[in-house]
Amino acid sequence: MVVAERELRDLWLAGRGLPLLLAYTLLLSATSYLVAANQALNFLEQREAVSLTLQVAVAVGALLVLLGAADSVSGERERGTLESLLLSPAPRRALIIGKGSAALSLWAAAWAVSVPYVWYLGRGVGVVGVAVASSLVVGSLLAVFLSGYGLLISTIASSNRLSLSVSLFALLALYAPTQMPTAVQNSWIGELLLRVDPFTAGLRYLGKLVINGHSPGQDAGWLIGPVVAAAIAAAVALLVADRLTLHGGDQA
Amino acid sequence: MPGALALQARDLRKSYRGVVAVESLDLEVEAGTVLGFLGPNGAGKTTVIRMLSTILRPDAGWFAVAGVPHDQPVEIRRRVGVLPESAGYPPGQTGEEWLTFHAELFGRTRDDAHATARRLLAEVGLAERGGSLISGYSRGMRQRLGIARALINDPQVVFLDEPTLGLDPSGQLQVLELVWRIAREHGVTVVVSTHLLAEVEQACDRVLILNRGRIVAQGTVAEVASRAAAPRRGLVKVPPEFHSRALEVLAASDMAAVAGDRDHRDELLLSMPAGVAPDKGASLALSRLLAAGVPVLGFAMEGGRLSDAFLTVTEDR
Repeated sequence: MVVAERELRDLWLAGRGLPLLLAYTLLLSATSYLVAANQALNFLEQREAVSLTLQVAVAVGALLVLLGAADSVSGERERGTLESLLLSPAPRRALIIGKGSAALSLWAAAWAVSVPYVWYLGRGVGVVGVAVASSLVVGSLLAVFLSGYGLLISTIASSNRLSLSVSLFALLALYAPTQMPTAVQNSWIGELLLRVDPFTAGLRYLGKLVINGHSPGQDAGWLIGPVVAAAIAAAVALLVADRLTLHGGDQA
Repeated sequence: MPGALALQARDLRKSYRGVVAVESLDLEVEAGTVLGFLGPNGAGKTTVIRMLSTILRPDAGWFAVAGVPHDQPVEIRRRVGVLPESAGYPPGQTGEEWLTFHAELFGRTRDDAHATARRLLAEVGLAERGGSLISGYSRGMRQRLGIARALINDPQVVFLDEPTLGLDPSGQLQVLELVWRIAREHGVTVVVSTHLLAEVEQACDRVLILNRGRIVAQGTVAEVASRAAAPRRGLVKVPPEFHSRALEVLAASDMAAVAGDRDHRDELLLSMPAGVAPDKGASLALSRLLAAGVPVLGFAMEGGRLSDAFLTVTEDR
């Protein structure tokens, strides 16, 4: 708890939390404005507008979590502040959990910011409740997955640049299936890929609930990928936490 | 507990990707000792400190700190305080916040952690600046803050890795005086790595010199200095008008002496005869000069100081 509290204070009172959230809010405002108010671009029906905004909110919120997690350990290494943490008797896992908590708080804040936009865009078509709840579930699963993944890379990376590069590359790879041609996406292998990829699976689930009006249980199978990915990433990050070293890489 | 060992190490080894950093290190340091830990850059000092403070795992060997064996790293961390080399500090926190956080990491309650942080800030002379952001601290203030952090858990052994690095001469003296004061007042074992040999000579009980990962000299300052580099030359200052006379007297005493250069006409360089102990040779030369009526304005032995010993034992072998 001591580490988590310190990390949260550092992130939100003295760190990059507020500037990142401001940038996120500006992006969400621009997106919402374009889908809701611009007559030339507003070709979406209301449910699709809500879904698009949610997808932007979840995707960018997850990106913030990934950036926070990927910088957490390797950044401390480069700033020379990791050694004094490692010299304390606090368990290594407590250090990682504290840093993970701070990274996850970025998603919590991003989700809270998205709620009024969803309410504004979705009012009148009975989609606000399900949109807010499903984005919380999907976004939280993706945030846990990316937080665990970012922490894992940051723990073992020998430099902060390497940690951020590998993390962002992985995020781009996770987005890649959305760019597949529709025919490929509709094939069995395409659907398998979309379901296994926690990012595409989560966003598909959101779309089915918000656009198609399905019940949460009807397409719960799409959540298997995000749930499994979140569980594995968190477990591996905690396991590797025990091997947290001053230098990272193989210089234990 | 006089005689108790604060540090013990047997055959400690560490390599980085095949490059040997520390090789077969054996060490015993009694509790309460102030140990000067010396060596040229890259000698392995930081690696040894990091192994003994459980930050690095040795490839082989055994060690114990404050009686706790190396296979209990958490217990060792509870008993040691460390000022790491090139330590970083979070610029967005105040000194008091940072110390309080570290005190809590060692299990202190919030109130106790605050009280400890304030006490230590006062002890290192930062009481007035404890509420300021660390980003506004000078390098010397950061080093003092780091020393305060090293004391946050009332350690039995304190490792200070280059506490004077990057400080101006006045800052170096301030930090070293703080270190000696803390060693006296807290009664802890202090291992201090520094290049300020004159200060180490004055304030350390014992010295250990490391070169290329191996201990090349250890003992009291006097032992190391005398063993490693026996003095062989003396510098005698006489009035210029007694220059020739002094040379004659010394030649008659089987002392090889030469005059100083043009800029140092009042100096004579005196070589000790082989087989004569340096202190006896010096006494003999001075007594002969005085007996012959040559006023001696100054005398100094060249060699025999810790800095000479350091240079001797760290030469490439």
